[in-house]
Amino acid sequence: MFSIALDTSAGTTVAVLKDDVVLSELNFDENMTHAERIGQTLSDALTKAGIRAKEIDRVVVGAGPGPFTGLRVGLAAARFFALGANAELVGVCSLDAIALQFYKQNPSAGSLLVTTDARRKEVFWAAYSGVSNGIPTRVIGPNVNKEQDIKDFIDIESHLRTDLLATAAALGQIAFSETNTELGPNYDVSPIYLREPDAVPGKGKRVSG
Amino acid sequence: MLIREATEKDLSGIMAIEHECFINDAWSEDVMLSEVVASHTFYVVVIEEDQIVGYAGLSKLPGSNQADIQTIATKPSVRGKGFGRALMNTLTSKAKELGATEIFLEVRADNTVAQKLYNVFGFKKIGVRKNYYQPDNVDAFVMQTAINHKEPIVLGIESSCDETGIGIVRGNQLLANVISSSMDQHAIFGGVVPEVAARAHLEALTPVLDDALEKANLSLDDIDAIAVTNGPGLAGALMVGISAAKALSVATGKPIYAVNHLVGHVAADILANGEVATPTIALLVSGGHTSLLLVRDLLTDVTLLGETIDDAAGEAFDKVARVLGLPYPGGPQIDRVAKEGNPTAIRFPRGLTLPKDMAEHRYDFSFSGLKTAVARHVEVLEDKGEDIQLADVAASFREAVVDVLVSKAINACKEHDVPRLLLGGGVTANARLREVAQARCLEAGVELRIPPFDLCTDNGAMIAVLGAQLIMSGAAPSDLAFGANSTLQVTKVQS
Repeated sequence: MFSIALDTSAGTTVAVLKDDVVLSELNFDENMTHAERIGQTLSDALTKAGIRAKEIDRVVVGAGPGPFTGLRVGLAAARFFALGANAELVGVCSLDAIALQFYKQNPSAGSLLVTTDARRKEVFWAAYSGVSNGIPTRVIGPNVNKEQDIKDFIDIESHLRTDLLATAAALGQIAFSETNTELGPNYDVSPIYLREPDAVPGKGKRVSG
Repeated sequence: MLIREATEKDLSGIMAIEHECFINDAWSEDVMLSEVVASHTFYVVVIEEDQIVGYAGLSKLPGSNQADIQTIATKPSVRGKGFGRALMNTLTSKAKELGATEIFLEVRADNTVAQKLYNVFGFKKIGVRKNYYQPDNVDAFVMQTAINHKEPIVLGIESSCDETGIGIVRGNQLLANVISSSMDQHAIFGGVVPEVAARAHLEALTPVLDDALEKANLSLDDIDAIAVTNGPGLAGALMVGISAAKALSVATGKPIYAVNHLVGHVAADILANGEVATPTIALLVSGGHTSLLLVRDLLTDVTLLGETIDDAAGEAFDKVARVLGLPYPGGPQIDRVAKEGNPTAIRFPRGLTLPKDMAEHRYDFSFSGLKTAVARHVEVLEDKGEDIQLADVAASFREAVVDVLVSKAINACKEHDVPRLLLGGGVTANARLREVAQARCLEAGVELRIPPFDLCTDNGAMIAVLGAQLIMSGAAPSDLAFGANSTLQVTKVQS
């Protein structure tokens, strides 16, 4: 099975995989150029892997959480890529990709707290207990809170931390691992926003004093 | 400007320009005459104020698929007014009509102005003829362009504001135009909230695409190219359509064209009337834009004469509706209430129409002062405990908006000697705007064109048909690196 995985919850990352073997991977860390990058990066990842778009069986997208504008670039691209390539579409929580990478580097590690920047002095976060059959075991989250409030949910002291970023390669591997589970891969590709749009109905203001 | 086929009687007018333009190598009158009257040639003259100001000739032998542009010249004193471009347009259209698949021409190596014009029409340099122009000893560049006879099937994606639009065209023909609006979700906020609009685009894209393909009775395999709005508009909203379009392009291998939203509104006229008759003034009025354009050529010569310096006209309707306690969107509500009102009851200000403003902002608009004037009027009466004549206020406000819009548009027609006015944008649904525009155009001898509403409001079909024009003119696809440009200039038709 050939997959193309992409995530724009932080930077722009695209990978092409055969089952869980990564054939190509491109990562760009900038968080303001998703719309500019996404087309060429998808195209380059395919070229580097030597795979044609029509051969792709599955599109895996990081569903977030992440800053909304960038996040939507990946979701919009994934949905239309899947339509164009006649491939199935699978969603994975972007924080899970960070957790998988962490546990790959630290196989015997225990509890993990993953946080990413949610702007407005808040973080998106999730806590994990380990990896089972190639899938990070998420205990709580994803949520959005002020960092100092996370202690109200978990015992922070007992959790390891990481500054790794989500990679598309890890997303693709998680989705492939999910294929072999009872539940199967997650076909829900709704964006994980965790916050309502920042708008309030305005009150009429007087113009004359 | 009028372009018509040349006859023997035009010879003296043509020769006068020939001698003025080609000092050392003018054709003789005999040669010119034989070319003008020959059966395998097509010569045209361009007339301005009863004078021949330019001419051009095409040669196409029966049975050959090649056409040659033999000559093209405009009077030096009238250059830069689009006559050369108009002549090129006529000749290339004729070549296409005659079934040519290629057009050739020769141009002096030192005439970079002409070369630039030919580049616009897709001509590329394919060779050099050494010392071709005598007695000046100047090389000739041989240039060639291919003519695409196939009418491309183009899918257009629009997401610049609160409408998710996907349209499909075959050449100039409309096949599908599906629009999903998030207007209802903005109602409680009294105006478009960018984040709400962007979220709605993401959810609407797939169902709108499915619907458009079904209406056109096509599959994605049938599509030849993808066009997408890349500006102007709300950046976060534009990015949804752009990202989807790029991914679709990579997944299907179809070329992508990033096109200008405002020029798309002008191109909508092709779907309504078969062409954008040029030159034309275009007045585009919506919740996001109030722009006055001079269009001499859809793809190569669009200029912005003026635009709003604060609120868009549609935004003014929304804001005043709130002041008057009417629901969102304000346009239809004010239209409804104003029906019973007296438009001259209250003299609200006409923004940027005073002589001192007209000097600097001749074709610009301003509606924020008008909104404030309405609010103040209402507050003064409320403070006095007097009744507000809602219908009169609505009618007088609407009259002020429409008056400024139409007056400035008609001024632009007169001052640029353009006998046409095209309306576009969602505010064209306003009954009074249509009424006043009709009356004043009739009075000024200006032809008024208003496409049907679903082509006037933001839609994907106008983007698709603009993409189709680019393809048919030989334009190369856009590089995948383009982004959303919320302030994209109207002069940039393709990014």
